Parts: sequence; structure tokens; C-alpha cells
Amino acid sequence: MDSISEKLNNSISEKLNQELNLEKSVGIVETKYFTFAIPPEEFVLSNGSKLGPVTIAYETYGNLNEDKSNAILIFHALSGDAHAAGYNNPDDKKPGWWDMMIGPGKPFDTNKYFVICSNIIGGCKGSTGPSSINPQTGKPYGITFPVITIKDMIIPQKKLLDYLGIKKLFCAAGGSMGGMQLLQWLVLYPEMSKGAMIIATSPNHTAQAIAFNSVGRFAIIQDPDWNNGNYYNGKRPDRGLSIARMIGHITYLSEESMHRKFGRKIITGKTSQTDIADFTKEFEVESYLQYQGESFIKRFDANSYLYITKAIDDFDITDGYENLADAFKNIKAKCFVISFTSDWLYPKEQSMKIVKALKVNGIETTYTNFESPYGHDSFLIEDERLKRLFAGFLKSLEEQP
Amino acid sequence: MKKLGIIKKWVKEGSKVLFLGCGNGEIIKTLQLSNSIKGFGIDLDENKVCEAISNGLSVIQGDINYDLSDYPKKSFDYVIAHDIIQIMTKPDITIKQILELADKVIISFPNFAYTKIRLGILFTGRMPKTKILPYEWYDSPNIHLFTIKDFKDFCKKEKITIIDECYTGLNKKSISKIFFPNLFSEFAYFLLKK
Repeated sequence: MDSISEKLNNSISEKLNQELNLEKSVGIVETKYFTFAIPPEEFVLSNGSKLGPVTIAYETYGNLNEDKSNAILIFHALSGDAHAAGYNNPDDKKPGWWDMMIGPGKPFDTNKYFVICSNIIGGCKGSTGPSSINPQTGKPYGITFPVITIKDMIIPQKKLLDYLGIKKLFCAAGGSMGGMQLLQWLVLYPEMSKGAMIIATSPNHTAQAIAFNSVGRFAIIQDPDWNNGNYYNGKRPDRGLSIARMIGHITYLSEESMHRKFGRKIITGKTSQTDIADFTKEFEVESYLQYQGESFIKRFDANSYLYITKAIDDFDITDGYENLADAFKNIKAKCFVISFTSDWLYPKEQSMKIVKALKVNGIETTYTNFESPYGHDSFLIEDERLKRLFAGFLKSLEEQP
Repeated sequence: MKKLGIIKKWVKEGSKVLFLGCGNGEIIKTLQLSNSIKGFGIDLDENKVCEAISNGLSVIQGDINYDLSDYPKKSFDYVIAHDIIQIMTKPDITIKQILELADKVIISFPNFAYTKIRLGILFTGRMPKTKILPYEWYDSPNIHLFTIKDFKDFCKKEKITIIDECYTGLNKKSISKIFFPNLFSEFAYFLLKK
């Protein structure tokens, strides 16, 4: 690039950054793609089925240092994607899903660290999943896509790190399903991370958590438009998917946060005394949930929802081990476990099981049951105390030899 | 008075130390600076634990009454129970547990046989209050107060070796072992091993 166009480019990006008020943002970021298992090679999944080629969408923020020792891998949750921070387009209304944590001067400080986040396989945001085209048929996989596990989600991310030349992570972090991926990561690659931030997660799903996911899946497969997963050329199972999201969303909030936000407030102009009964929108909380459902169908694929929730329900980190402590026996990372007081989907007892198993193995562990009213979603909600906590743990990793 | 100087003197440089009831971790930081220890802590209070973690310390939010059995035996060089044993639900069990966790254990506690306390109850007829024990009878966390003699009896009964002992009194100065510590010391420090 010659110097004039470089200057021009710089001034454009400067202007963009100013407009978006991005002084603490990573700014405009580009989603990149990494493909492996290109035929004749194949990616063999946990259940023995084969997939290939496999593409992984990923984003990176900050710069990888010379000895490649400053990389942080972020695992996303059920409805997350590779776009964790910054903006893909100048006119994006919202930044990436964990923008409050990732950026210059933020806990995952991009002035210091090289942060990586990739979309899981089975997803629908650029990585190979049920909505991708099966090269053998030229049509979307639909439900011919193989059943995936949490382990199948992390192996491609290891391949991505190999491709980027990263041998050891400074830290790995994940909340909810991201936390499950992290536990699986630590068990499968026990020496690959210096630190681990295990957030609002569980060694396996409780019957209650499975039950909620199951209702969500039922809503999708009972939708006639689902059509056995073959809907990519026609009407999509929007009703089913939005109901699934509504149910899911309830489990991510707490009674307190719902009460604070909506109470029993009724939408203006609507009362139950109208002539014609309206069973859909009276309370504000109803309208909110419907909005959540409607916006979700614009960005998510119903089949991906089925595959991913199933992988979450099937996950049990103790599979193949005597118990949790046995599963964790080789972990070398310093671990930070955090639960949230109002999270009833992944209550503190689940995190405390993890803490206990880490302690039993003599693994350096930090834990807190963080006071927050926002339920399971607390880790996604802006909170200065939480940020300081994250920054403090990362600082302690820097001091670690 | 409660002093860290005695603890600093006993803890060897560079050792691995677990602090029970570490609060916001100030005590860990202090000993990290003075004795370059590798410090760990456990405390029940979420606010204090968060402060400690935010300061880069390895602290677990947990209940000492229940969570000590998770650590492998001899995980630490020292376990320090500074001014905490008297608030435990079962102090005897806690003491036995920490003696398993480390080669050496430091226990410090307010001496309930201290003259001022004795006189307080004698003359006022009320539960004694001092700088170290400032609580009302109904809001005191100290549910198992004891004296130096009680503690020594306990060590004898449980065959716990007292490696060293130290006392402080009114003017914060250390008091000699021979000068009736049970009467004249306000706070006691013991270095123990199994």
C-alpha cells in the first residue's frame, strides 16, 4: 500500500472509530475461515461418522506475540458465534457478544493478548453445520448431518490453533456451553493452557436442564414447517424455533431480574377487559419473550439448535472416567471457576463440584459464587466488579512462571 | 493485639501457605511481600473473595467447616488459622484437618483468660468486651472461645506437637512464655505439627 492510500485508509478507520465511539473497542473486525479435512482426508467424529471438508469461522483480536505465548481462546455458548467483539460492519447496531470483556483496556486486553473465538461445528454462523451444503449431494445436510458432541466441537478449534502455530494458550475461557467446551478442552489437552476460566457451567446437565432443552427441541420438530429438517428451500420452522428460544430465554434469566424488568406490567392500551380475548400479548414479559423469539429466528438455524442442544444434554465430562476428580487428574492449568448467585439453570452446586474435583487433584483453583441478579446470563451482562475479577485472574496468570 | 510479625518470623521464605478466612487477601499480600510465599486462601464472604481475586490472588469462596477435606494431604507447607478457630463449628475437627494438610500449622486466637476479660466479667457481671472481642453476646461470631490452658490441654490430648509459642499483651509487645501468659496475654500464637 502506498503512503497516501495508507493515510487515507487510516483516516477513514479513525473516522469510523470515532463515529462508533470505539475507543475501547477492537473496531471493525473481519470473520476469517479455516478449512480442514479436505478430501481425501476426513474428520472422524466421536460416534465414528465422517465429515469433510470442515470449515471453521473465526475471529481474532489483538496481535500474536513473537513467541506465541499470549493467545486466549474463547469458547462460545449455545447461541453464540465467532463474532465475540467489535463490529463486522460500520453500520452494525450491536458489537460482538462479549465486547464488554474483549478490547483494549478491557479484561481480555487486546493491547496485551491475542484473543481467538471460533464458531463451533454444527453451528450456523460460518462453520460447517446442518445448514451447510453437503458436497456429496449438493444440498444442505439437514438431519443427515452427523450427531456431534462437545468433544467434536473442540477438536476443530485445536486444529485451528495448530494452523495458527499456537502450542500453548495463555488462557482459555468459556461460559455455559462454552464452559463445557473448556472442561472438555482441559481434559483432552490438559497441558495446553496456562489458565482456564470456567464460567457458569456444569460437568453435565441436570434432568431439569435437559427437560427445558427437550421442550425446545419438541417445539421445533412438532412444527410442520420443520419437515424432517428439510426446509432450506421452503418455509422455515420459525414458530418452533422461536418457541424454543422463548423457553431457553426464561431459563437464562432469574425470577428477580424478570420481576425487576417487567413485574406485572401490562402493555399500554392493552387490558384484559377488551371485547375480544387476546391470549398472546398482554403482559410486557410476553411481548419481550416474543421479541426474543422473533429476533432469534433471523439469526439462527433450527437444525443447528437441535444438534447443539443435544450435544449439551449428552455431555458428561466424567464419561470414561471413574469420577470428576479422575477426569481432571492431568490438568495443569490454573483454574478460575465462577458461578452466579441467581443462576438456577447451572446452580453453584455444579460449579462447586468442579472446584472440589480440581482441589482434590491439587490444581491451583480460584472460585467465587458471584453476587448477581441476572441469572444464568450474568456473565454476558456489563458489570464492573465482574470485569475486575476477570482482569485480576488474568493478572495472576501473568505473574505465574 | 493481633500481630503478623510473629507469623512472618515462623513462615519460611518461598513456602506454600494456605490461609483460612483470608478475607480480602491483605494478609496473603503482606506475606507474599515479606516472605515471598506462594499463598492461597479460603473465605466465606463473596465480597472479600472477589476483592482478593481482583487483586490477583488464589482464593476460593468456601466454608472452612466443610471444604477442607477436599485438599490432598500435605498440600501445603503451612496452614495459617489466624484468629479464626474460635468461630468454627467444630474447632477440634478443623484443627485435626489442617494438621493433615500441611507440615506445620499456625493457630492464633484471643485468650479468654486474659486478665482484662476476667476482671470485666468479675466487676461488670456482663459478657466482656475488648478491642479484640468487641461483640455483644448475641452478635458474636466467636462461638467457641477458649484459653491458652484449654488449648495446651487439647494439644496434649491430641498428641499435637507445639514447636513454638508466642504471646502478645496490652502494649502489643511479645510476652515471655514464663510470665503467666494465660493471665497476661491477650492473643496467643502457636506453631504446631502433628
